[in-house]
Amino acid sequence: MVPAAFLALLALVIWQLVVVAADVPAYIVPSPTEIGQELVAKGPSLVSDLGWTMLEAVTGFLIGSGVAFATAVVFVHVPIVERAAFPWAIVLQTIPIVAIAPLLTIWFGYTLVPKVAIAAIICFFPVLVNTTRGLRSVSSQAMELMRVLSARKASIFWRLRLPSSLSYVFAGLRVAATLSVIGSIVAEFTGADRGIGFVIVQASYRIDTRLMFAAIALSSLGGIVFFHLIGWIERATLRWPEARQHNS
Amino acid sequence: MSRSDCGAGIVLDSVGMTFGGDNPVTALRDIDLTIPTGQFLAVVGPSGCGKSTLLRLVSGLLEPTDGTISVHGKTPEEARRDVEFGFVFQDPVLFPWLRALGNVLLPGRILGSRSPTHGPHTEQLARRLLMDVGLDGFEEHYPAEMSGGMQSRVALARALIYRASTLLMDEPFGALDEFTRDRLNLQLLDVWEKARATVIFVTHSIQEAIFLADRVTVLSPRPGRIVRVARVPFPRPRPLDLRFEPEFGSLARELRALLETDTTMGAS
Repeated sequence: MVPAAFLALLALVIWQLVVVAADVPAYIVPSPTEIGQELVAKGPSLVSDLGWTMLEAVTGFLIGSGVAFATAVVFVHVPIVERAAFPWAIVLQTIPIVAIAPLLTIWFGYTLVPKVAIAAIICFFPVLVNTTRGLRSVSSQAMELMRVLSARKASIFWRLRLPSSLSYVFAGLRVAATLSVIGSIVAEFTGADRGIGFVIVQASYRIDTRLMFAAIALSSLGGIVFFHLIGWIERATLRWPEARQHNS
Repeated sequence: MSRSDCGAGIVLDSVGMTFGGDNPVTALRDIDLTIPTGQFLAVVGPSGCGKSTLLRLVSGLLEPTDGTISVHGKTPEEARRDVEFGFVFQDPVLFPWLRALGNVLLPGRILGSRSPTHGPHTEQLARRLLMDVGLDGFEEHYPAEMSGGMQSRVALARALIYRASTLLMDEPFGALDEFTRDRLNLQLLDVWEKARATVIFVTHSIQEAIFLADRVTVLSPRPGRIVRVARVPFPRPRPLDLRFEPEFGSLARELRALLETDTTMGAS
């Protein structure tokens, strides 16, 4: 944590010095102090926009991850469904969300729906792939142990598969958390009346570089907080030693 | 074909096992073996002689391609459904998210009322079993916080908790150092005498087999066939020093010779 903060501070100082020394105009690249002033001046309204974006991101994250988890459970238990559906999951993943976002905006207008949907779509794949892998990460001997105890499928799932999968699931969720913020911002670009994406688009029309940088900084902050929130939930949930090694 | 002396013990009648695929491999051939209830049988043989396969056939995890197996008059599948088997694997196969006590309690959680030890005293029983295998004070330790030997003991306690009538052990102490293995062998005999279960114990150590078992079955490599079933004449309880007695040594030499001749025969 401390080395990372130090590196950031160093980068900001160099940035400040270069901008001042080379006399770069503020509408090209503003200096960190100017961005800081902008953040203070527009703080309350920016924070409310960020809150809006995070609401979209978190809602999409919950829906996308939830659907992905359920799909993975079905995949692991019914292989034929996996063989039928997984290629289409890859197709969904390869379609650029930038291309679907305007379409969804045409269909659903300036509502929450396109933003939540894009965040959900972008979360789906990493959680699906990681959960499927995690649910399969059961050793053959552990599976034999369950058979010797003539355990039922539900019992195998709750007592063996699910706990084995959790480290993998959380790895997927952490990736999805940062992606969901990007997804909702991209969706805001294509039509919104509030949110960080909306602020960035508006500022770009006015070549208000300072506001753009301030908005970018805040959106990044949102993603970082969300990422660490998931990591914190993981540490609070998975308490056994190996799980701790995984996520440290 | 199948004999009808099904009441007692485990009976294997000309059992063979061939694994299919493009290059079929015959793991076991013509295995005839009767293990009376309560007997401790050790199975020795070089790696790849189908020892582990034998345990999986008896427990119904695999189905034999030839012959029949009867476990207390039932098919292995039925016996498995009635939870007659305790299985100790080569690896401890503990669940890393459960503490030692939780791992020992796991079978009870899965079996529920199907476990004969189901009830309010299950936890007390688990604690006593952990004590029997020398792990008192480690109940709340996670597997990752224990040594390999301690993990093996937890696995043993887990196999004992639901009082299975038959214990199948697949080189359970194979990965451990000699001293730990000696101690675990003594503890195993101790708990076995209390549990009075039928045991099939697979090992590649002739010494370990003779020290533990009532009878030792020697298997030849690929395909595994019974070369000899030897009675072990030593009375119980057996002290560790037994292994330095001349009779122990001569029996061990005799069995080793069998293994060696058969290995050369198999190679020719």
